[in-house]
Amino acid sequence: MTSDTRVILICSGKGGVGKTTLTANLGISLASKGCPTAVLDADFGLRNLDLLLGLENRIVYTAQEVLEENCRLDQALVKHKQQPNLSLLPAGNPRMLEWLKPEDMQKIVEMLNDQFQYVLIDCPAGVEDGFKNAVSASKEAIIVTNPEVSAVRDADRVIGLLNTHGVKPVQLVLNRVRPKMMQSQEMLSIDDVTDILALPLLGLVLEDEQVIVSTNRGEPLTLVGSNSPAARCYSNIASRLQGEEVPLIDPAKEGSSLKDKFRRLMQTKIF
Amino acid sequence: MKKVLYFPTEKKESWQSFIELKVKELKRGLIEINSGNWQLKCRDIIYLKNLCERYNLTIVSINSYIPETIISANSLGFESSLELEFAEKSKRTFDNEIINSLQSPSTFFHQGTLRSGESLDVNEDLLILGDVNPGAIVSAGGNVMIWGRLLGIAHAGKHGNDHAKITALQLRPVQLRISNKIARGPKEKPEQGLAEEALIEEGVIVIKPAKNS
Ligand SMILES: Nc1ncnc2c1ncn2[C@@H]1O[C@H](COP(=O)(O)OP(=O)(O)O)[C@@H](O)[C@H]1O
Ligand SMILES: [Mg+2]
Repeated sequence: MTSDTRVILICSGKGGVGKTTLTANLGISLASKGCPTAVLDADFGLRNLDLLLGLENRIVYTAQEVLEENCRLDQALVKHKQQPNLSLLPAGNPRMLEWLKPEDMQKIVEMLNDQFQYVLIDCPAGVEDGFKNAVSASKEAIIVTNPEVSAVRDADRVIGLLNTHGVKPVQLVLNRVRPKMMQSQEMLSIDDVTDILALPLLGLVLEDEQVIVSTNRGEPLTLVGSNSPAARCYSNIASRLQGEEVPLIDPAKEGSSLKDKFRRLMQTKIF
Repeated sequence: MKKVLYFPTEKKESWQSFIELKVKELKRGLIEINSGNWQLKCRDIIYLKNLCERYNLTIVSINSYIPETIISANSLGFESSLELEFAEKSKRTFDNEIINSLQSPSTFFHQGTLRSGESLDVNEDLLILGDVNPGAIVSAGGNVMIWGRLLGIAHAGKHGNDHAKITALQLRPVQLRISNKIARGPKEKPEQGLAEEALIEEGVIVIKPAKNS
């Protein structure tokens, strides 16, 4: 077991806040910076990490067969064609949850440790059983939330759980930030969120319709070298994870300059 | 002769390198540590202890005006006391209460923030060093004292004690309960840094600046 492998749980209180999207984009970003990275789909109920990465049709085996010793790990790992530093370990079928134990998750992660520098675990939302399995296998976590009261409340609860399981450090990603709404105080501000959650902010991700476009195509934004706002945010997050100091984007300045407007115009033309 | 080792007053740098330099200068003997407004966890205090031992210094006491530091130091068997002279004026009113309850056997301590979904229910007085977040509930047979922000729900005097109080550095609860009375939290945000207390006056729950008791 190589000790410098970072096993990072990507989790949230509520579903639909952007965990899977972050896992996919962060995975591609880290891989393209030269780090061998595995993304592990642990959201057995709502698996769609394969879809986002455009790897759905290449899945033959899953973590389930690996654990049942019906195939080797490298048979189940799906290497990304355009970004070979990234591999996906697909989840088994939802029934797998019934027998999966925390030890099983630990076993899988230990196997991945040999080959990868980063292991990102796309975790089921909230406080489900699957979450506890995933928690047992990692030391580090990223909490994803939106600037909404209910999402923050649920995130707070999960942070409490992570604390009791001794997961540390826990960092925060605030997703779907809308600068205009923040300015007009129709949305919780960054301070409102970090005040309650009291976690270091790993990054912001701006609301960006290109995220939805890329999701439907199965090509994460960070894969196609997009310069859209969210793509820059994801890439910044990857850099910060690696210890680089990248300043936070200032939502107040986003989308207001002429250059930004022009770039957005260009993007709508291109895509 | 006892020497005193003061922590940096500036919060910019980390204290470790600063302290290490100071310790090297002092060399052997007894020292008292004053951590000022730095909050030290147990592991910080163990670090200090090891550092001092390396330079043949013996720590006789650890003082600070952060209660968390005092509790950490106490739990590791160090003599320690809460310093008041540096404390911000606004917090000072609350300090006496904290000190009294630190010495009272009928107080239940909780160190750390209570997050959404978490709860604490005790029969004694309750002292929390940390925040009570939205979605968290705390209740006590006696008073509830929160060295932090109350943003969730607190219930004092839950067995029907009308004299129970709820005190917090910032009182912005969803709901307050004292004895069998219930009040919704105030809409407007309180002034920063003013400790406040909630108590029953003439049958209703009122909130006012915490008075020096
Ligand atoms: N920054 C963003 N801007 C716009 N849409 C987003 C953003 N992040 C996520 N979404 C959209 O939100 C939905 C839920 O995201 P997903 O990653 O599946 O959430 P989760 O895995 O937490 O359930 C998806 O349709 C996704 O395209
Ligand atoms: Mg998902």
